[in-house]
Order: sequence, then structure tokens, then C-alpha cells
Amino acid sequence: MDTIIQQLFNAAQLGAVYALIALGYSMVYGIIRLINFAHGDIFMLGGFIGLLLTTRFGWMPFYLLLPLAMLLTALVGVTIERVAYRRLRNAQRMSVVITTLGVGIFLENLVRLTVGPETRQIPARLPSAPVVWLQQHLGAFVTWDKLLIILISLALMAILWLVVNRTLIGTAMRAVADNKDAVPLMGVNLNLVIAVTFAIGSALAAAGGIFYGQAYSIDPYMGIDLGWKAFIAAVIGGIGSIEGAVLGSFLLAGVEVITVAYLSSNLKNGIAFGLLILLLLVWPWGIMGKPTLKKV
Amino acid sequence: MKLRTLALLPLLVLAGCKPTAKEIKIGVSAPTTGSISATGQSAKNAIALVQDEINAGGGVQVGDKQVKVRFILEDDEDKPESTATVFQKLINQDRVLAIVGSYTSKCSNAGAPIAEASGIPVVSPWSTNPNVTKGRKFIFRACFIDPFQGRVVAQFATSKLKAKTGAVLYDVASDYNKGIAEVFRDEFTKMGGKIVGFETYNTKDTDFSAQLTKIKGSNPEVLFLPNYFNEVPLQIQQARKLGLTAVMLGGDGWDNPELVKLGGKVMDGNYFSNHYSPDIDNPIAKGFIAKYKARFGLVPDAAAALTYDSANLILKAVATAGKADSKAIRDALAATVGFQGVTGNITYGGGGDPVKGAVVIKVEDGKFVFDSAVNP
Repeated sequence: MDTIIQQLFNAAQLGAVYALIALGYSMVYGIIRLINFAHGDIFMLGGFIGLLLTTRFGWMPFYLLLPLAMLLTALVGVTIERVAYRRLRNAQRMSVVITTLGVGIFLENLVRLTVGPETRQIPARLPSAPVVWLQQHLGAFVTWDKLLIILISLALMAILWLVVNRTLIGTAMRAVADNKDAVPLMGVNLNLVIAVTFAIGSALAAAGGIFYGQAYSIDPYMGIDLGWKAFIAAVIGGIGSIEGAVLGSFLLAGVEVITVAYLSSNLKNGIAFGLLILLLLVWPWGIMGKPTLKKV
Repeated sequence: MKLRTLALLPLLVLAGCKPTAKEIKIGVSAPTTGSISATGQSAKNAIALVQDEINAGGGVQVGDKQVKVRFILEDDEDKPESTATVFQKLINQDRVLAIVGSYTSKCSNAGAPIAEASGIPVVSPWSTNPNVTKGRKFIFRACFIDPFQGRVVAQFATSKLKAKTGAVLYDVASDYNKGIAEVFRDEFTKMGGKIVGFETYNTKDTDFSAQLTKIKGSNPEVLFLPNYFNEVPLQIQQARKLGLTAVMLGGDGWDNPELVKLGGKVMDGNYFSNHYSPDIDNPIAKGFIAKYKARFGLVPDAAAALTYDSANLILKAVATAGKADSKAIRDALAATVGFQGVTGNITYGGGGDPVKGAVVIKVEDGKFVFDSAVNP
């Protein structure tokens, strides 16, 4: 019994990190119909920026470190969009997708050259004592850092929801997502809206990277596998939808953990990817996606 | 006067070149980059030591003359596909007489068939999976094999730690981890223990919490983690955070300073089997450790010690063969009896696997401390 609840917390922590990455994929796709394959590496970079800040500025508390790393990573994200993607906005779809792959490889090798290829861990900044209440009442051994990672992630997602649905820039983002060509005619600065989208996506990925480095570990190539997983989560949820990305992430993490817990750890990826194929066959728009008809 | 000496210079250079024009070339395939680059670095250091030692004495004795030795080290990135390329390059382009390498069993299994087909003898320092040498005439190794290692750990767990229940978490995508995990499971059961969890993950996974939580549910006394040093500390850390209290056990894949650098305090109080311990009383080992420490400022790990032994095994075989011929070197290697190395005495009894002992090491205050020795 106690392990079921513990497994749910494992799934929630993994799902929270997936969601923080998946949101970036989904938002960028929603707005400019671009699958940014460098996004997994932005997540990796966020983790390494977090590592750099914790090791260089040992005095910095976590509540300062997290926003600072998110800000720095957001700047990188915006710069990449400005330098590498903007000129290609009206080019063939394939050119820009290849560019995103190239940017990803560039980031991986940049980190490998400057920091080294070894696996690292961000020094623990969150308390790692077990939560006594959960242990006494539910018999589940859950540490404070795990609980905090889940809660902060959920808070970040709530803030994102408010920004998108309750602010002017959020309204502009939704408008661009609806019709990219008509919105500039209404006096909305398209470049600004796209830059803000990249900034938010990168900042969330950075938070994911830091959490991942605290809970598990980081290395220069981690963005490849985790990026794919998060991308799949975004597709399962319905790419382009914010709620879908979050839902898909927790669902994917839940399926993975439950497979390991009750079936076999050998089947983990098989079941997760099988689920994706099955879903795409039956409902190709994803859980929250809307069926669209292409007008000819 | 001055001009005359200058005019003579080219002649001198030519004369000086002649005896060294012919050199013995030996290839090395090691993972100097990638996830276990620390092991590749140990290999590189040990090779540099061997090369300088032999050439300081004029080189290796081949027949009636001394020939300098040059080791050609290539990076196989700890990837099987890169290892195949490295072996092909060393054999076809550099024309090496023999090869030291590769390190992990999955890489050696990729390189060995190429060397076997070309008739180039190979001594792998660190590949403990039985399949590496099986059915091959030209492939040797300087280390013991996994069935022995798995038995050593199982015996240690049941007799010394008096464990009744045990669990295993291993990388199912890697030959070494899988082989040793299965042997441990069988031997532990045979010795009267009960395996209550047998869980897997895939190379590069970093979240083990689901598997570890499941293992925690069955509450084992020992948890065997036959994985590499870059993953083990993370596994133990996650296990402790999930409330697992079992004593952690491992194999020689743990042996690298990175283990305690990455893991810190969580590594203390756990045990692993290894090829040698720097604390062991052996004059050859003492000399090697002193030289290695003086030059690189580090205590050599088993990968460094085994690389040193592997390279010296080949050099001795070259001297015994008396000619720079791969086939003759292979025959001399196969006939090795009582070679005294850093990691113990090596004798090949027909196949490519040596008969030699193991040690169990305890991690204490971030240091590797000799616990006990086990002989076959």
C-alpha cells in the first residue's frame, strides 16, 4: 500500500519535469507551427546554468537562483530565435526544422566542450529530509525536495495559465496562434509576441532542467532523450494546447511508472511509445487537440 | 670548421635514424571521451607509463636487437560502433602488431571479431563478460570474468554480511551489467539466499525511482548494483531518498575516483568486488602505484593497473616470440605462465581467460579500503 502512494509521487515528479519541457514545444508549435527540436537542449542548458550558478555563487538561495537561471536561459532562447529562426520564418518548413536540429547539436557540443562530458548533479539546495506527515499518515517515504519540485512546477504552470489567459500579451499570443497573418494588421508586434513565447518556453525548460539536476542528474546529452519524451507528451496531450501538454506529461509519466511498478521495467519505453502510436491511430489530434479540416 | 660539422649533420641524422626506423606499433582502443571518459584517462596514463619505461631501457628485445615501442591510442567513445571503426583503423591503417582494449564488454565484443578475422592478438584489460574471448583464438584479457565476480559478491553477501534477501537493479542494455546480474541471482539463490527483486533500466536512464520504490516494497537486506561508476551514486542516492536501507553491493564497474566525487557520503559503508586494491602487499604493485602517483598525482584505479598489465603482457610476448609477427605474438601470449603483474599472477590455461583472484573493497569516508581477498 505504502509503495503505491510513493510511486504516485515518483510519477508526479517525473511528470512535472516532462510538463515543464512539453509546454515549450507546445507553445512554439501553437504560435508559429514550428517544432523546435533544440528545445530539449535548452532544457539541458538550463540545468547547466543552474549548476554554474550554484557552484559559483554558493551564497545564492534557491528562490533567487531559480528565477535567475530561468531569466538567463530565456535570453538564450530569444537569441536563438532571433539569430537562427527568424530569417527562416517564411522559408520552407524543412529548412527551419533542420536548423533547430543543428542548434541542438551545437548546444550539446558547446556544453560538452566547456563543462565536460561527465554526469553531474546540482548541489542539493532543497531540504532532503522526509516529509513526516506523509510518512505517519500515509506510510509513504517522500522527501521534501520531491514535494517542493512538484509544487513549484505546478505553481509555474498556474502562472503560465494566468499569463496566457488574463494578460494583454497572452491575448496577443492566442491571437497569433489563431491567425498569424491577420494579427499584425491589427497593430500587434508579431516579432515581440514570438520572442515572448520563446522566452517563456525556455524559462520553463530551465526550471525543469534545474529540478532534474536536483532530483536526478544532468549531462550534455540528456536533452535528446528527455526532449523526445516531452515532445511525445505534448503530442499525446494535443500539440499546441497548454492544458494538453501538462495532461499528456503527467499521463506519460504515470504510464511509465505504473508499467515499472506492476508489469516489468523492461516494458517501460515499449508501453509508453505504444500508447502514443495507438492514440495517434485513433485520435490523431491528441487529447485536448481539436479535429481540424483542411480547406482545399 | 663550423661549416664542416654542419655538412656532416645530415649524415649523422641518417645514421641516428637507422636503428629506430623500425619500431613496434601497438594499438590502444580506450574511451577517452563519453560517459566513462575517466576510465579512458586511466588507460591513457598507464600506457604513457609503459611506453616511457620500455623505451627508457632502449625498447623491447626482438631477436638480437632492441626496438622502440610506440603505442597508438584511439578514442572509442565507449560506443560499440566507434570501437569497430577504431579496430579497423588500427589494423588496416596503422598496421599495429597487437591491440590493448577495448574497455567495456559491449565495445570489446564489437572490436574482437575484427581483430580475430585479421589475426591480430588483443588483450582487453577490463572486459569481464565471458563472451568476449569465447570461441576466439586471438582475444585475451587481463581480468577475471563475470561468473567469478558474481560468485565473489554473492558469497560475500551470504557468508560475510549474512544476508538472507537480496535485490538487483541493472542496465539491461549492457552486456557486462546483464551478465554479472544474472550470475549473482543464480549464485545467491544457490547459496541459500532469496532474490526478492530483479529490476532493469536502460543505458542513459537517470530516473530509477519507480524501480527502487518497487524494490523497497520487498525490503531486501542487500541491493546489488552491477553498474558503472557514473550511474551507481545516483542510484544509491535515489534509493536512500526513497527510504531504502539495504547495504549496496557492486562489481569492478564501481572502481573509479568519480564514484565518490559524484556520490559523496551516500557511498560510505557499501562494498564492491575488484581486480586489485592499492593496499595489497605486492612489490610490483607498490612500484607501479608509486610511479603512477608521482607522475599523475592520483592513486591508480583497476583500469589503470590492468592496462599496465595488458601492455606488459604483449611486450613480454613480443620478446618471447623473438619476431615482430602477430601470429607468433599470439602463440607466445597463449603460452604465458606465471606472468607477475600489478593485479596478480596471470597464467593462460588454454583459452584467453586468466586464472586469478579478486578482492572486496569497502567504501569508507570516501576512500576505497581493502576488505578481503577471494581466490578461485
